[in-house]
Parts: sequence; structure tokens; C-alpha cells
Amino acid sequence: MNRRDFLKRVGYASALALAAGGLGYALHDAKGPASSEGPKALAGLGDFTAKGRAPGAAQMAIVRGSDRVLLVDKGVKALGGMAAFIHKGDRVLLKVNAAFATPASLGATTHPETLAAVADLCFKAGAAQVLITDNPINNPDSCFEITGLAQAARASGARIIPPRLALFAPLSLPGGRLIQNWPVMAGAFQGVTKVIIVSPVKDHQRAGASMTLKNLYGFLGGRRNVFHQDINGIITELAQLLKPTLCVLDGTVSMVTNGPTGGSLSDLKDTGTMVISTDPVAADAVGLELLGHTLAEIPYIQMAAKAGAGQADYRSLNPVVLGTKFKPLKL
Amino acid sequence: MAWAKTKVGPTQRVVSFGVLALLGLIAVWLLVQQSRFNPAVDVALRVPIQGRPQAASGSVLKATAALLPEVEGFTPLTPPESFGPENLSDKIDGKAELYLSAGFKEMSCRSFGLAGNTRVETFLYDMGAPPHAFAVFSGQRRPGAANILLTANAYATANALFFTRGRFYAEIVADKAAAGLQNSLEAYATALLAKIPAAAGEAPALAVPFPKEGLAPDTVRLCSANSFGCEGLDNIYTGEYTLKNGKATAFFAPRETPAAAQVDARRYLDFLAANGYQKVQAPEAPAETQVLVLDNSFEIVFVQARTMAGVHDATSLAAALELAGKLRLKLQEKP
Repeated sequence: MNRRDFLKRVGYASALALAAGGLGYALHDAKGPASSEGPKALAGLGDFTAKGRAPGAAQMAIVRGSDRVLLVDKGVKALGGMAAFIHKGDRVLLKVNAAFATPASLGATTHPETLAAVADLCFKAGAAQVLITDNPINNPDSCFEITGLAQAARASGARIIPPRLALFAPLSLPGGRLIQNWPVMAGAFQGVTKVIIVSPVKDHQRAGASMTLKNLYGFLGGRRNVFHQDINGIITELAQLLKPTLCVLDGTVSMVTNGPTGGSLSDLKDTGTMVISTDPVAADAVGLELLGHTLAEIPYIQMAAKAGAGQADYRSLNPVVLGTKFKPLKL
Repeated sequence: MAWAKTKVGPTQRVVSFGVLALLGLIAVWLLVQQSRFNPAVDVALRVPIQGRPQAASGSVLKATAALLPEVEGFTPLTPPESFGPENLSDKIDGKAELYLSAGFKEMSCRSFGLAGNTRVETFLYDMGAPPHAFAVFSGQRRPGAANILLTANAYATANALFFTRGRFYAEIVADKAAAGLQNSLEAYATALLAKIPAAAGEAPALAVPFPKEGLAPDTVRLCSANSFGCEGLDNIYTGEYTLKNGKATAFFAPRETPAAAQVDARRYLDFLAANGYQKVQAPEAPAETQVLVLDNSFEIVFVQARTMAGVHDATSLAAALELAGKLRLKLQEKP
């Protein structure tokens, strides 16, 4: 190396060092990051709406009949088939209502046949994994077993995610009054790409009706019964937590009295309707008619619609109506 | 020193490009994953501030647990569980409000297996006083269900029995209807009644019976709280009528003093007015009787001594006046 080469190399090295130092100085944050107290709260559970559906594609199907598997199949087909919602490799979370450790025959929980039908369609559409979850009122293991949901999951190859401490994380709904730094089962969403809510249609002593939106109560942890004092408010906030891919509202048999637990078979009524909808509010608006209610009687539906969670006027979605076994709704 | 040109062999070149390609793929994968990142995962992986405290709910047994019998043919499937006002909703969710507003003290329950793969769950509620037990019994009564002779207040449906004994309210619920089931359920109920303290007694007869003519069977109810949707209008007895001029519901509410009855009457009248009811001039109505209407639904409110009473949701003015007159006569008969 001669003197000229040496000076050149020193010059290059110095310029490089100056440039790196200058870049560092430019990016330097003298204040540093703001300190935080405790873990950061989530703002929601996500938007899982299916992307790439054809413009004008049907958003809701109301199918009449009594065979749950057939009704789910027909309803989903009317919306373009499950492939329109679930793609190859999707990890699908099915939110069921497994609230009580009571047999499916009493109608207090999602029916295992409906769950199996939805899970099967997801797998056929290419789902890599189908997960099932709820944070039930009663002991979770008993709830999933006694309701028949565990057996349905095993038979279809889906996996149940029972609630456990590590799955809960604090969530604060922006603008929310009730869901502030509240534990929500967000861990069940790890890696999840699609969410389907599968619910029964039930009378509810406090809320008037328990359907799709009330089913979301099962994502809450903690002493959530405090929210019963403002049941319409909490359901409205739950409606804003996530945008589901699809909602399956099973009104083939509805619990029309003494809900949400029922007990007597006389609390159940054949209402012969399965609702498949991309809009949870619209699905519930159909469900409340099965229970003989009006929108005015179940305030949370219009409150959720006003909050932007969906359409309370389900007719505006131009639902596909299939089957004639039962008296048609006033469409 | 001059730059020394290094000779690279073909194998080294292939390996180098392979490593670079792998790094490139990893970078692309990271970018894709980052774009799909769900913030829920980030928070979910941290230590939660609160979890699910209700896991052990029901495990501390209360007095009613000892009253649940073990009966031959009923194989226990679970240990007994007990719930108090603080955690009743952990068992029955939103229905807890019905019991809590009626003075609920505690409840125990247990599941059994019966022959024929039938599952039976029994619930025994201590409501603190016989009227409270009657309130939850009558408030959930299944229309058309057959009365049974088990107790003064007892009925059966295809898969269940419901009854009161004194301050206790019981439900024995099977998951299906089956031949011989009712006999099995009644055998269990009899064993349960044998364990209930004799001091519990039967529910007292209504202090003021409703007029019998036109009263639909098994429609007498006691509403513990917020009757007819009116906040604070508590402990109202109601009975449903079919009369020649239409349908109507009679109600009455015994109070401690005439002044307390007047306060409740005013509360209900204010509630009706706030909801759009208009006063009706009805010359045939007795003095100090208020008659109101909204959309052909008639309401009558009056006070008789220390009882607030009236007619709710009558389908015609004639039906409302007829029932109000009969109810007033009954109240005047009261010793």
C-alpha cells in the first residue's frame, strides 16, 4: 500500500463513519419512548370479513326447514359457497355458545349438528385448522362435553380451545364505556384468519334475546356478570369488538321462553329457520322475529346498528330466502 | 497494496447464491407476516391482568346441598354445587336477575343419570320466604302444563317437574321425555320434600283472592320487581282474564299503609303518562279511579284501603270497567 492508497482509504472510512453517525443523530429521539403502566390494552379483536367477494354478492340467506346440516349447506351455497369465505390454509375460529353444561336437547347451547356442519364446510373449503372456543358460564370441560360440542369437534377434526388464564388479555374498546381494560379471550385469535359465529336463538331473561351478538359475551373474562346491569350497552360494545367472516344463527328450534337456561322441552319451539349472514346485526334482527319480538323490544340490535356493527333492517340486505316449510317472514 | 482478486469456484458460487436466495425468502416471509400481524397476539402473549376467576365457582357447599337426596336409580354424575347471590349468574347467567330480585338466598344443584341414558339435573333454591318462592315459580310457569298433587304449587312438563315448598323452589329437569320418566322424577321429588324442614310449610293462600269468574287457570303470578316495566313497582300479584267484552289482566299489591299504596298508584300513573297513555272520561267508573288508554289498551288504577289495584292491558273499556268493579268488590270483602 502506498501513501496515496492509505489516504484514500482513510478518507472513505471517515466519510462512512460520518454518514453513519449523522444518520444516527438524525434518528435520535432525545425524549425516548413514553413509559407505560402495565400491559398495553388491545383496541379490538380484528376484522375477519372475507375479502375479494364479488360486488353485489348475497350477504344473507334465510333457509327454512328442520335438517340443520342441510340448512347450513343450502344457506352457505346461497352466499356463494364456503370457498367464497374460507380459503386454502385459513385458520378458522368458530365461536359457539357453550354457556351451560346441559344436553343439546334442551336448546340452551349451539347445537352440535350445526357446529359439525359448519366445521365440515370449512375443511372442505381448504381450512388448515378449525378451532372452537367459548368461555362458558359453567365449567368449560363439562360444558363442551355435555352439550355434545366436544364430540362434534372430534368427529369433524376441529380442535376446542378451552378458556385458560393465558388466553386473556386486557382490551379497551375505543370510545367504549364498559369494555375498558377488561380481560378478553384474545389469545384464541392467535394465527386466526377467519371467524364464524355459530349461535342458537334463545329468549333471555335480562337481554330479551340471546343470539349472535349476545354470543360474543363468551369472549369476556373476569366478573362479567356486572355488565348485566347494562345489558344493552355491553352487547352494543361487544358488537364492535370484531367483524366476523360469517354468522350462522340456528333457529331450527328456538328457546322462546324462560331463557337463557330453559329447562323444560316446552320452552322450545320449532321455528324451522337457519340464518347465514355476513352481518351479525341483521342475523339477530331475523332471530328476534322468530322469538316473536320487534326491534323496539330488543334495544341492543338498533344500538349495535347505530354503532356501525351492521344493519338492523335485514330486508335492506335483500336476503336469499329458501324453503317454504314454515310460514315465511314478512319480507 | 493492490486489490487481490479472489478466484471463486462454481460450488462456492452456487452455495452463495443459495444462501442469498434463502435470506431473501425469509425477508419476504417476514414482510408478509408483518402485514398480517394481529395485535391481539402481541397482548395475548403477555401476562394477563385478569383471567377467569369463576372456575371454582359453586364448590363451597351451602345448606341446600344437604337437602338434595340420593335416590335409588339416580346415579350421581357430579358432586353437588352451591351458589349464593354473589355467583348465581355463574350457573344460570341472565336468569339470575329473576331470582335475585325476588329475594334469592342460595341454590344447590346436582346431576344424575337415569336408566335409558337420561340425564337429570336437580335445582333447589332457598328464596328466603314463601312469597318469594311463589314469585319465581309463577314467573316461569309453562302455559298449559299440568298441575300435579306433589305440593300446593306444582306442575309437570314432558321432561321436568317444578314446585315450591314453603320458601323453597325446586326444578327437576331431564334431558328428554320418556316413558316412566314422570314416575322417576316424582319419586325423586318426594324424597326431596321429605328432607325439606317441616317448618318451611306451604305457601300461604293469597291474602286477597282474585275474582274467580273469567280467571284463566294457573295465570296468577307474583312479580317481584318492576312490574309491567315500571321501575320500582314491586310485589304485584296479577291474574289473566277472559271476559265477555274482551281480555284483561287484574292486579293488586297489598302495602303496609294506605299512603304507601297511594305512592305506588301515583308511580304507576306517572309511568303510564310518560309512555303516552291518555286519561279517559268514564262516568261509570267509581270516584278516584283513573282510566287511561293507549292504542286500544286500557288501564285502570285505584286504591282500596292499603291495596293498590287495577286492570292492565284490557282490550276494551267495557272489559276494563267490568273487571275493575269485580276486583274492587273482592277487595272490599276483605276482613
